[in-house]
Amino acid sequence: MTTTDPATKTSDQVATPPSGGPTGMVWVRENLFPDVWNSLLTLTLGPLLAWGVYALGRFLFVTGRWEIITVNLTTLMVGRFPRDQLFRLWIAIAILAVVIGLAIGVANSVARAAAIESGDDYHRPWHEPIRRFGPPVTLLIVMGVFVRTATPLLLLAAAVALAAVAYRLGRMIPIRRRGQVNLAVILGVICAQLAITGFDGVPRSVWGGLLLTLYFTVGALLFAFPLGVAVALGRRSSLPVVRGTCMVYIEFFRGMPLVVLLFTGWLVLPFFLPPQFPTPDIVTRAMIILVLFTSAYVAEIVRGGLQGLPRGQREAAQALGLSPWKQTRLIILPQALRSVIPALVGQAISLFKDTTLVLAVGLTELLQVARIIPGQEDFRGQGLFAETLIFVSLIYWVGSYWMSRESQRLEAKLGVGER
Amino acid sequence: MTESTLTGKSMEAGGTGEPMIGLTGVEKWFGDFQALKGIDLVVGKKETVVVCGPSGSGKSTLIRCINRLEVHNRGRIVVDGTELSDDVRDIQAIRRETGMVFQSFNLFPHLTILENITLAPRQVRRKPKKEAEQTAMDLLTRVKIPDQANKFPGQLSGGQQQRAAIARALAMEPKVMLFDEPTSALDPEMIKEVLDTMEQLADSGMTMVCVTHEMGFARAVADRVVFMADGAIVEVNDPETLFTSPQEQRTQLFLSQILVHPS
Repeated sequence: MTTTDPATKTSDQVATPPSGGPTGMVWVRENLFPDVWNSLLTLTLGPLLAWGVYALGRFLFVTGRWEIITVNLTTLMVGRFPRDQLFRLWIAIAILAVVIGLAIGVANSVARAAAIESGDDYHRPWHEPIRRFGPPVTLLIVMGVFVRTATPLLLLAAAVALAAVAYRLGRMIPIRRRGQVNLAVILGVICAQLAITGFDGVPRSVWGGLLLTLYFTVGALLFAFPLGVAVALGRRSSLPVVRGTCMVYIEFFRGMPLVVLLFTGWLVLPFFLPPQFPTPDIVTRAMIILVLFTSAYVAEIVRGGLQGLPRGQREAAQALGLSPWKQTRLIILPQALRSVIPALVGQAISLFKDTTLVLAVGLTELLQVARIIPGQEDFRGQGLFAETLIFVSLIYWVGSYWMSRESQRLEAKLGVGER
Repeated sequence: MTESTLTGKSMEAGGTGEPMIGLTGVEKWFGDFQALKGIDLVVGKKETVVVCGPSGSGKSTLIRCINRLEVHNRGRIVVDGTELSDDVRDIQAIRRETGMVFQSFNLFPHLTILENITLAPRQVRRKPKKEAEQTAMDLLTRVKIPDQANKFPGQLSGGQQQRAAIARALAMEPKVMLFDEPTSALDPEMIKEVLDTMEQLADSGMTMVCVTHEMGFARAVADRVVFMADGAIVEVNDPETLFTSPQEQRTQLFLSQILVHPS
């Protein structure tokens, strides 16, 4: 049976070099039908898979009623954000595009300078930016399909162009001024928020959709990260009071479901605040809860990194006469954080997805919008949940996937010279 | 050999005769285990003292007490006129004047060799970057690896790493250098390059305390050799006398064990 197989016959007769993989038929036989059981599996799963692909493709391109996304694209992006105030959002996007472009530009020239100094040939393949920014760009293109007017596309293109210009500028900034660029990024983020909320703007309580999701993700990360590092260091402090407090903090927030904490922040917190202290709005309260919750996990991750360091590193720093704070800041933390990048990014991804839980306290973030819109007057009773859920899933998936890929890149980059 | 002659030998400073490091009655406990049992030792300025002895004899603990990587429980340690106390400023002052080289190098893997060397001068001595880098390059030339300046520690061989670690310690312009088994983690063919560097340093008049098993180095470079066993100093003498006619039975036993294979 096998000997008469034409594929085998050919490979017997012609003495081909072992380079390259097996040819088509050989591959099929080796991988799909090597024995009875695997053949059975192939015969069962193959049609199932084919049917699944067919059904999904049919839904995506034929039967799916995607007009629900087209009609509600703005709502998915910003929720109940007043439509006559959208220009503020574009201003914020423009500011962020500039500072992000600047930051990437400076980071790029730093990397180049470091590579040149250590004698390496600094060469990036031309397709690297395409690979790096592939996922978000693909997502933007998919979203572009649902845009009804040209305005947002033009504005988006303008923002990308701004970012590109800022990137060029960033590469021209001398490296010793990169501290000022970091400052510019922080200022830019503050200005971006002010552009939306300030000057009789739109309060955060009416923000919604992807805007709110990203706001919670980025905001909570910005605060949770330093807090988590501080708590991790506190947990290893030699002062029993500090150590105990940090331990209780970590165990408390890790031991509570996020939803319970969010409810607590929503319903219980106001009772405990002194009356002269104005109760912060619900977005702030949810943000505080997300920060506290995430920082406890960040603290445990960072503690793992701290414990993984050889004792000799601290001793060498001590022997050189560095102060305890400088030992930690210059020697211990950079190494500890570097070793836990994968886990930290995992936490960031987890936070990105966990922001969906703020719907429990009445905030309409992305998922909540997706749940609400099939109930609109035009679509009520038509059961268009699959369309909206697939759309928001794509956003969550691309976001998470992109973060995880960027973290792999970062790991590889920072791994330079590691043993 | 009587107790008094031992004390005499260990308490009279060699080198220029002025004391740089003075230990009196130093005791160290790890829980119930006594690692140092009343150590008396004076190291003179510009003197090179080699500490040897079987493993677990407290050699490393002894020199780690000198810059407070270990806290001694009893006795006094004075380095260049400053007594080690719980006062952080005294500890920092002594650490600034004391360079240390470790068995496992302990270079900072996230920094280049140049950054490893300039870190402390810039952060502790507040030297300007240019000046610190100039000094660092001079030191790297001295330890014969100037071309490795911009590499990371992981890219260097063990011998090169240890020489970089010596350069890092020297960059603080210390008055004392402590070596804690600097060649024990090295491949045989790399030991010589490190020992050469240390010998050169001793010749330049540095005050050095070296814990090492390299008897050849001790013979060639040391002004005095301290033999320790079970947390106490057994015998102190100049290398020639100690190696050829050891007074104590414990020393004879140790030397017979390590000198079986002449190298």
